[in-house]
Amino acid sequence: MGATVAAPAIAAQDRASRGLWHDAARRLLRNGPALLGLGLVTLFVAAAVLAPVIAPYDPIAGALADRLKPPSPEHWMGTDLQGRDEFTRILYGAQVSLQVGVVSVFLALVMGGTLGAIAGAAGGKLDATLMRVTDVLLSIPGILLAIGIVAWLGRGLPQIMLAVAVTNAPIFARILRGSLLSLRTADYVVAARSIGATGPRVLLRHMLPNALTPLIVAATLALATAIIDVAGLGFLGLGPPDPRTAEWGTMLTDSTKFLRQAPHLLFFPGIMIVLTAIGFNLLGDGLRESLDPRLKR
Amino acid sequence: MPLLSVTDLVVRFRTHEGTIHAVNGVSFDLEPGETLGLVGESGCGKSVTNLALMRLLPKPAGRIEGGSVMFDGLDLVHLPESDMRELRGRDVAMIFQDPMTSLNPVLTVEEQMVETIRAHRQTTREEARRRAIELLEMVGISQAEGRLRNYPHQFSGGMRQRVMIAMALALEPKLMIADEPTTALDVTIQAQVLELLRRLTTESGTAMILITHDLGVVAGMTQRINVMYAGFIIETATTEKLFAEPSHPYTVGLLHSIPRLDEVRPEELVPIEGTPPDQRREPVGCPFAPRCAWRLPVCWTDMPPLVPLDPNERLRSSGPEATHRVACHNRPTPAEADAGRPLREGFTPAPPPHEIVEELAPTEEVLA
Repeated sequence: MGATVAAPAIAAQDRASRGLWHDAARRLLRNGPALLGLGLVTLFVAAAVLAPVIAPYDPIAGALADRLKPPSPEHWMGTDLQGRDEFTRILYGAQVSLQVGVVSVFLALVMGGTLGAIAGAAGGKLDATLMRVTDVLLSIPGILLAIGIVAWLGRGLPQIMLAVAVTNAPIFARILRGSLLSLRTADYVVAARSIGATGPRVLLRHMLPNALTPLIVAATLALATAIIDVAGLGFLGLGPPDPRTAEWGTMLTDSTKFLRQAPHLLFFPGIMIVLTAIGFNLLGDGLRESLDPRLKR
Repeated sequence: MPLLSVTDLVVRFRTHEGTIHAVNGVSFDLEPGETLGLVGESGCGKSVTNLALMRLLPKPAGRIEGGSVMFDGLDLVHLPESDMRELRGRDVAMIFQDPMTSLNPVLTVEEQMVETIRAHRQTTREEARRRAIELLEMVGISQAEGRLRNYPHQFSGGMRQRVMIAMALALEPKLMIADEPTTALDVTIQAQVLELLRRLTTESGTAMILITHDLGVVAGMTQRINVMYAGFIIETATTEKLFAEPSHPYTVGLLHSIPRLDEVRPEELVPIEGTPPDQRREPVGCPFAPRCAWRLPVCWTDMPPLVPLDPNERLRSSGPEATHRVACHNRPTPAEADAGRPLREGFTPAPPPHEIVEELAPTEEVLA
């Protein structure tokens, strides 16, 4: 299975958009809550990507004279202990959250997807063994597992990404295995085998593309959890090693000491975490509904 | 030499609820170019027989537990999986019942056809594409070149079944297995698709096994028919002889349960009472006995062998001269077959022997 086989398979999916994806997009645009979610996610991504362009101040260097100022026309969200502009730091914080969220969910997809595909395709004892391992991982609360991994590997963005990925991977593995199992007896899979297609070919070309839909939904929902997990790790003091980095969870922790003097420092990072998580959740739910033709609105 | 020779094929499914005796010693031959009908109701083992031939039984539950399948000089039961894969599609092709679900929804028809062709032939993508266009035109799809780029959902049911036929014929197989190819289609489309199948298999000399529960379909399509019941072949004959002289009570029942338009004085339809046996139980006696109006005491205990109707006839297992064989202890006479019930004075079906009365109690109530 070289690049020559993979390329047309991807092209096939792009063109499939006219069918399944086109319909799904239409249904999504008619779904109010999903649109709201899409709007929130778009704002979040725009904030992260455009942070260096639109941020009015430097996220790290502050003016000590301006410390702990409440929101004003100069500083829309006030300033923090070091006199840094809170709005700027929120924008840069989005960058960290997005980066960690996307990378960790992608990592989780690769790990969980591989495990799930192996389990679903192999069946039998291998399947049973892999699924028991995922059961064990799933039985440990996600944030506890993540804390354990960061504590073990040390602080740092890559470690956080890995930790969040490991907590999500078993979920993806289960979902993919489940859809593959149900596809094994699908008529077109038996039909593909009846024309002499090889095992890997049936799996990669006929089963996987049809099993991806639930995985896409789960990945969107996992982004919400990932962002909360990253903030949670930051809040617990396991955030990025450089304390100056603008990270929502760390910003929350720092602000607790000045709760009375500067409540805005608690409010803005908190509301951003909540809004982003809600956005991804609404979008994920909307995607699930629009990708399933049986749930037509 | 026959193209396909199945001997004493036994297929069982081992499930958590017990063993299912799906196919219980089926034997039949098929000549090159011959069209054989496999008739029976749902669950009688006709589809399982063919999945077993292709070695596509659902794993790990379904297993070939006995018998042999010789195809073109190859022992299909013991052939290595890689050789089996080579053979599928190239020498034996299948058409499935539901064209709505047997094409992959996320791939275009072109990708699926080209894949089939290139799985077995060393050709370029472009050559395979040209062959695909040719095949679509052959099965009567207009503007084939444009339609190639369409996805399965953009075709109607009849068109999809045409695509399936085109794919099955892509590599000029020696044997085509069509599993209820028209059951999911509109009646008007059924005739077109059947006619297409017949024309194309005749032109290419492809042998065909046509699985169906519709006697009307096999009547016009096949040269020979195997009637199956509960995993057994209970009657086999050339199509002509089977319709002229049905000799198993089940075949008689089947013929009497379909309406005929050419009947001079339309009779009432005679349904076959009861339900097929529970195949989780090891077969004892004739599987049709509980539903049979002709049954004798021996039917409850001994499965009758499949023997020639005329004991003096030389046995031929395939071809146009194939011997009419039937597995029955008490064959209906032609007059009885015509009437659809026993006509002998004072004949009553034998009651079940005491040891199985209890087990069969619910069935008996249905009959009463």
